[in-house]
Amino acid sequence: MALTLLTSALAACSGQNTNDPKESPATGESSTPGAAPSGDPVTLTVEIFDRGIQGQPDLNDNTWTRYINENFGKANNAIVKFVPVPRSQEIDKLNVLMAAGEAPDISFTYDGATVSRYAKSNGIMQLDDLLEEHGQDLKNYLGETVLTYGRYNGKLMAIPAKRTSLAWIGSFIRKDWLDKLGLPVPTTREELYEALIAFRDKNPGGVDGVIPWGVAATGMNYGYGNLSESFWEEQSEEEFVTMPNWLKPGNKEALKFLNKLYNEGLISPDFALDKTAQQADADVTNGKVGFFSANWDYPLRQNISEPLRANVPEAVFVPIDAFKNDEGKYKKIAYNENGINVFIPKSSKNAELAMKYLNWMSNPEVLFFLQYGEEGVNHKMVNGIPQVINQTGDNMQTSALNLDYTLVVNGVELGDQEKNIKALAATAPGLEEIAEQSYKINTTDSYTGFFFDTPNEANIKFGKTLGDLNKQMTDKLIVCKPSEFDGLYDSLVQEYMAAGGQAVMDESVQIYRAMQEANK
Amino acid sequence: MKAVINSPNNRIQLNRKNNFMYYLKKDFLLYLLLLLPLAYLAIFRYAPIYGVLMAFQDYNLFQGIGGSEWVGLDVFKFIFEQNSFYRALKNTLVLNLLDLAIGFPAPIILAILLNEIWHARFKKVAQSILYLPHFLSWVIIGGMVYLLFSTGGLANSLLAGLGLSKIEFLSRKENWIVMYVLVGVWQSVGWGTIIYLAALVGINKELYEAADIDGASRLRKIWHITLPGIRPTIMILLILQIGRMVSIGFDRPYVLGNSLVSEYSDVISTYVYRIGIGAGDFSQATAVGLFQSVVGLVFLVAANYISKKIVGQGIW
Repeated sequence: MALTLLTSALAACSGQNTNDPKESPATGESSTPGAAPSGDPVTLTVEIFDRGIQGQPDLNDNTWTRYINENFGKANNAIVKFVPVPRSQEIDKLNVLMAAGEAPDISFTYDGATVSRYAKSNGIMQLDDLLEEHGQDLKNYLGETVLTYGRYNGKLMAIPAKRTSLAWIGSFIRKDWLDKLGLPVPTTREELYEALIAFRDKNPGGVDGVIPWGVAATGMNYGYGNLSESFWEEQSEEEFVTMPNWLKPGNKEALKFLNKLYNEGLISPDFALDKTAQQADADVTNGKVGFFSANWDYPLRQNISEPLRANVPEAVFVPIDAFKNDEGKYKKIAYNENGINVFIPKSSKNAELAMKYLNWMSNPEVLFFLQYGEEGVNHKMVNGIPQVINQTGDNMQTSALNLDYTLVVNGVELGDQEKNIKALAATAPGLEEIAEQSYKINTTDSYTGFFFDTPNEANIKFGKTLGDLNKQMTDKLIVCKPSEFDGLYDSLVQEYMAAGGQAVMDESVQIYRAMQEANK
Repeated sequence: MKAVINSPNNRIQLNRKNNFMYYLKKDFLLYLLLLLPLAYLAIFRYAPIYGVLMAFQDYNLFQGIGGSEWVGLDVFKFIFEQNSFYRALKNTLVLNLLDLAIGFPAPIILAILLNEIWHARFKKVAQSILYLPHFLSWVIIGGMVYLLFSTGGLANSLLAGLGLSKIEFLSRKENWIVMYVLVGVWQSVGWGTIIYLAALVGINKELYEAADIDGASRLRKIWHITLPGIRPTIMILLILQIGRMVSIGFDRPYVLGNSLVSEYSDVISTYVYRIGIGAGDFSQATAVGLFQSVVGLVFLVAANYISKKIVGQGIW
């Protein structure tokens, strides 16, 4: 504790001291109009995630940063410098940098709550005018829908990236096991349940300790797909978007179903202890797992597909849609059209240049090079679709399609959605068909999270606590004795509402109604 | 007048002053060295106390302490309304009490046992092996515990092999507490013996010889010579441990805990982590930290007072 206190105190001190004197030194030169590039070059700092990938190049000196400096830097008399931030401590580090007034000119986070917190404490710039003046290409590229997600109380506080691939979750089953048992691919909960029972009793893979449904502690990659959605009953939009899932009619039955599966030995026995999902990954890649839900592309990812192919060559995971609701729909959540939130801290002296940088990046040519590099080196063309060639060293991409360098887009951008999906599938060599299938399934019957245009104060205050509670409640309810389930559900939900759930809901309702009023 | 100047009191004071200057001159290099740790304390222990002000503000990251709004005791009011805070406080006290009851005597007993070993070589090897766990990070220990005690782990495989039913060591609250305490003892018991062993060396050997002549048994000697010999050390460590009653390490509960036992494993340190670093609410985290320190101080003073009353020894 002394340590926490100390660090926060230090952050405080430095925040105080550096905010004001920072006005003058080094970066101050930038205020000379950037239109006429002359004199000493200006340094534009840009955040970059350090994902700690084995063999990654210098994040500040590689093919991509040189391209950026060569093309954007020279034309604007600027040096673009990248500031690495560890991916896993992104927000902690950002908090410290912001407090010290040393956050990069272009900073970003996926966490919308963090942006609204900064916006609320007046630590980041309003971008409306800047975008109007220096970001016309960017504005056209993103479009008004995407930009809406960057508005807080009507002011543009962040530039959201455009997300081109909208699938989020997916469920996968071992097709080879089903075939062995002569079972059809499940299309309903009941069929899935029967398949899981058959996996448990007949152990078609002949493995030691078969796990019909592989799961890890809630919150780590593995989840329950759209199971809950299939139990939810119809609600008005207002109720649906403002109510925590715990209160939605039918949600209790969903948990009860999982509780039943767990107590019948159909779910990973120690899932709640698997806080890093390492055990679940190991079980999947060792061919012990028959079914699981995770991200829509989870079995296509190299860290799963390659060891699985090596350990159990005959294993085939196919995407399925098994959670059908009463209306016969496979309702499931998908991403909104926005990706990472890019913002400019108040302490920045290069706001204009930063906006120009983002504007430059929305150029299709620039995006194509940053995502696919040179033909023959970073990609090859197959039927007009670029296929990534994985590289090491200087040419290596430390994130899929250089996600972390291309701040205005999230996902393939070939200017045409159909091509994008083909190219997306091409990122999983040998599994293209499964990828395309999964993408299709997981963007069907989908809904997206509702966007509230006003920050929810209660959520800023209680959000983290409630998020943790969510995970604990889910795990506890799945593991408890069936006879204790009903009582536990009610008491946990009560606790949740008392711990801030009610406050968040009330405020959501208020904001929602105000938005409806304004739209009339 | 003369009588006053020559009175013994004054003379002593003059002497003392001279003595201080004399020692300062003689050992000024040593005093210079002392400046270093003093500076460390001043910079890293005293200066940050300034940050405590955050607990009384609606702290704004960008305005700093100077610019943030003062809110009096609002932050404390808010915290004391949170059920999760009381749960964290209760768990911290319970886990620490258990550690005190079981973890505190353990190194004393172990030190006495080690002290009774005559074979020097064996004693040294045993000591080294007992120290080892202290140097393991809790993350590693957490991994080991998981491998050994999960339902598919070694312990349960053994139980199953013996035809016994499985025990949920880590996912049942009651079992988890036992594991928490035992793993803690395993990790720290060896290291804890160091101070006691040092104290044991200081006991006059003649006392044991005298007891031998009187025909005292080994247990008698431990009871009447060894234990009273290390009593001051025990008391000091006990008082310090009681002073730490409300503070708890972060790694151990965080690494060993899981969502199924959160009712017992959520403690003040994990609470502060979640609120302060996770949610960025520095005011709340600071306020909880301040509360912790104040209660800790009260405990420490009380323990010292009681100790002085009962056994006549304290740390000041």
